Amino acid sequence: MTARSTVRRIALLTCTTLGWFAVSTPAQAQVEQPVFTRSPLLNGATPFSQKLLIYEEMAPQDLPTTYANTRLPVPVGCDASPGNAALDIFLKSPLSLAPKEQANEFVQNPWRVKIAECLNNGLTQSPIEGRPPGQYFAHQRWDEFYPGAYVQSATAGARTNTGMRDSQQRHGFAAGTEFGPGGLYYNVLAGSTGPQGTAAGIKPRLHPRLPVQHASSVWTFDGTFPGKLIMARYGEPLLFRHYNALPISATANGGFGVNTLSTHLHNGHNPAESDGFPGAYFYPGQYYDYRYPMILSANDRVNTDYSNWRTTTPDGYGGDTKIKGDYRETLSTLWFHDHRIDHTGENVYKGMVGMMNVYSGVDRGREGRNCHYTNPAIYHNLCMPSGTHLDWGNRDYDVNLSIADKAWDANGQLFYNLFAIDGFLGDRITVNWAWMPFLEVRPRRYRFRVLNASMSRLYKIALVTGTGKRVPFHMVANDGNIMEHAVAFPNVQAQDLPLQSIGERFDIVVDFRAFATGTKLYFVNLAEHEDGSRAKQYASLSDALAGKSDDPGVGKFLEFRVAAAVPGAQDLSMNPADYVEGKLKMIPRATFTPAELAGARVRKFQFGHSGGSDEKPWTIQTDDGKGLSVDLKRVSAVPSMGAVEIWHLTNGNDGESQSSWAHPVHIHFEEGQILSRDGAPPPVWEKWARKDMYNIGRLFSNDVKVALRFGDFLGSYVEHCHNTQHEDFAMMLRFDVKNPADPMLIRTPLPGWNGVSYAASYLLSE
Amino acid sequence: MPLRAKAPLAALFAAFLLAGTPGSAQQSWHKAYFPNVELVTQDGKKVRFYDNVIRGKVVAINFIYTKCPDVCPLDTAALRRVQKLLGPRMGRDVHFYSISLDPKNDTPAALKKYMKTFDVGPGWTFLTGRPQDLALIQSKFGIKPVSAGMLTAHDTRYVLGNESMARWLKRTPHDNPHVLAHILTSDLAKPGTNRDAQPRRSYAEATRVEGITDGAKLFMSRCSACHTVGGGDSKLGPDLAGVVERRPPAWLHRWIKEPDRMMTEKDPAVMAMMAKYRGLPMPNLKLSNANVAEVIDYLADETKRHRVSLAKPTPKQVAGAHRH
Repeated sequence: MTARSTVRRIALLTCTTLGWFAVSTPAQAQVEQPVFTRSPLLNGATPFSQKLLIYEEMAPQDLPTTYANTRLPVPVGCDASPGNAALDIFLKSPLSLAPKEQANEFVQNPWRVKIAECLNNGLTQSPIEGRPPGQYFAHQRWDEFYPGAYVQSATAGARTNTGMRDSQQRHGFAAGTEFGPGGLYYNVLAGSTGPQGTAAGIKPRLHPRLPVQHASSVWTFDGTFPGKLIMARYGEPLLFRHYNALPISATANGGFGVNTLSTHLHNGHNPAESDGFPGAYFYPGQYYDYRYPMILSANDRVNTDYSNWRTTTPDGYGGDTKIKGDYRETLSTLWFHDHRIDHTGENVYKGMVGMMNVYSGVDRGREGRNCHYTNPAIYHNLCMPSGTHLDWGNRDYDVNLSIADKAWDANGQLFYNLFAIDGFLGDRITVNWAWMPFLEVRPRRYRFRVLNASMSRLYKIALVTGTGKRVPFHMVANDGNIMEHAVAFPNVQAQDLPLQSIGERFDIVVDFRAFATGTKLYFVNLAEHEDGSRAKQYASLSDALAGKSDDPGVGKFLEFRVAAAVPGAQDLSMNPADYVEGKLKMIPRATFTPAELAGARVRKFQFGHSGGSDEKPWTIQTDDGKGLSVDLKRVSAVPSMGAVEIWHLTNGNDGESQSSWAHPVHIHFEEGQILSRDGAPPPVWEKWARKDMYNIGRLFSNDVKVALRFGDFLGSYVEHCHNTQHEDFAMMLRFDVKNPADPMLIRTPLPGWNGVSYAASYLLSE
Repeated sequence: MPLRAKAPLAALFAAFLLAGTPGSAQQSWHKAYFPNVELVTQDGKKVRFYDNVIRGKVVAINFIYTKCPDVCPLDTAALRRVQKLLGPRMGRDVHFYSISLDPKNDTPAALKKYMKTFDVGPGWTFLTGRPQDLALIQSKFGIKPVSAGMLTAHDTRYVLGNESMARWLKRTPHDNPHVLAHILTSDLAKPGTNRDAQPRRSYAEATRVEGITDGAKLFMSRCSACHTVGGGDSKLGPDLAGVVERRPPAWLHRWIKEPDRMMTEKDPAVMAMMAKYRGLPMPNLKLSNANVAEVIDYLADETKRHRVSLAKPTPKQVAGAHRH
């Protein structure tokens, strides 16, 4: 018997007697937790037997001229959200209180009596708005960017959709759109039974055969499915009034999730008080007004005289309104999610996710009229696949897809492991909450805005036919930045979509024209995980299609079904093949001059484990200083307004990137241009676009150099690793964009039921 | 479909990995999840981890070993600040536990001696047990255990939780002690015990934070666990007002940079201090020369500021102890 099998036998004996016993290997003890749960397919749920849920719009509403002064309904019990009917009436009614520059401390939280009763905490005072009061969390430049429109929602426990937002849907379920009679998305469920032209009746379930999610299992915007999509346009400052309608009792959470929230619009270029600072969370019964200025980057520096004819926003009447700023920095696809310190992973997984489409003159969401491709000299609307019914924001052929791996327990209720140290992986892949759905498409071009909304899982997505043959497509936007040139896939550098980390968005255009009615195509995930720390390797396409991976998340997860064409319909959208390198440009990249790059301050951030030990908690080291865990009062990097900087992001295990962790790094507030990866030019899909997520580590490069230019707003931002489990375990750094004339550091807020306080900082004089 | 495992025990771990359908999420994080293994306190008392240590309590748990030269002493000192802020709530509303990772050396007597060295107050229990049980507890918190030969690389994070609420989070002992105390008495507090009815400082009154030097940051995140400047000697270390005048510059620099070496060299000044502070070691924080200089600058500046403030008290000085 060899030494190896002796060890095996002894360990076997020990394991059976002691359960999860730590086995000492020469290097380290290992106590394994199950990596993948096995979520049961109850009631015979089968793949690709339900329709994809199309995102439900939160469309901007005009601010009312008078305010009704009503309040968020109070729940009956301590363990629940408010009653469904009352909540719907309230959310459907116009904004009930005027938005204020500083947090509304004067009106009381309508739930405070109930809270005092439920928690026995003697609560008498609780402000209605959970935003920290005073000047430092006031909406900056309030008069200048006073809200032109608003959206409101309440995060609540899962419940059936009553169609409360139907009248808000900009498409109006109108005939002639894919949302109206005869349209592909008119029937919500497969077949022609079920909701038609409405969201009423949609239940919170991951598949029609799986159990409905309890109110304590899923917490999401309005509490309803489908997921929510904010439709915004540049030049119209948008107020997002976010109510917290979660249960007062902390234990009514199905085992995970906390009832205090902070909402981050991912890279929305928002001032600090509206950026979803992790420490600025708010409580049940309260609201937080997030005010999104909806301005282009460089609003204060570039095109301040409105002279650039391409820098516009749709006016709603077929025309354009000129706006300030640099149109080369146009963003299109954003997402928003919870960001509450210590509990972000649980909350985002539990459902606090939404998307935002940002529309502009160049990306109007309308095809067929004044299109750039017909005459680039006088037209600027790129006419991406979208639709023709509305002046802007058509979604007939522009579909948001958010991919998230989930797991559920023996009762089919959403499950999350609070203690998964390497990152939580679900064994079931959902798209827009639906487990393995199908999406019907016309034989024409589509734009898909693909978001990785998982907690730890990375995806490498292949688009294939039923026989496993790759289907070509083009990438047109990267992290919401429309690229200078479209990139065709497959190409010499990649066959499939790049490895996509948490929060990364790829906008792609797929042409289904070549496929006969009834053809089925698939998104297939090839990125194989053994744990949540990184994607280990890629499965081959044939293995993935044959279900041969040990990772249950590898394989097909979304089916496209080509439907018959609409008689007489024309595809008036741009052809991305006309925009590849050497041909037309979509949006020229904003660049940095050689002088700017030569003079840029270089900051080095090293991500990983401090001290080079894999057992130490994740840390970020700056400029080769000691590794620091998150402490929101430490301000490590303070760039100046307008300054160009080069940030050098490195994975901690120098020279060992292939064995190490993957760190998707997200820098709030500014897009960056990737200059190099491991000293070499970046891949072509990063060359033509700016990004806000920078991947380093296994299967990526070990380091990346990014050029950034800072500007416009003051305040504290957070730079962090976007693997959301890691985020909870202390991988955050805070930086301020300081005004060179008046540098300012802001205290960390400490919220409570009775309002927001603050902690002593590092000064002894306190 | 067999799921791959890492260790040589492929078949056995596969069995674990396959057994992965969780029961009802509602019952997830209590008796069914945490082990009820037997541990021993510094007083030699036997306790059960779930039933006696965490069940129904608000707890703060860190993992240490008493022979640790640097990190654990600093962590313990840092957590002592939190203990002081919690006052009478210790042992009543909040329970601190430090769990040893070195049961071979950390006998109850050794733990008790360590606690005395650090002047640890009531409500804070030190625990030891069998190596496999200690590893199991760590893994249940999502912390990777290390083997006996790799103790210096153990995970030092600070687990805070309310067991009944099944709310858990991890911080570092070097987070601001006011923040840690706030967490333990606010969102993690049991109903009826939290301070939400108490008066608080409104964020509207928050002032800007005036310039913080790098030395100040280092001092407050590390040194202030044991030292003050102008606050008098503490149980854990001498007050440092005027230290840059009292000590030769080269000595002071070296003491901050490599105190462990000076201790083994038995520098007489060092030996005198060790005797006074019960052998409590000054940890080697692995600071660069630049960092050390920054700290020394801070000590000099803060000494000056302190002396000025003694001469004419400001309203801030008069306001009294921070009311949390």
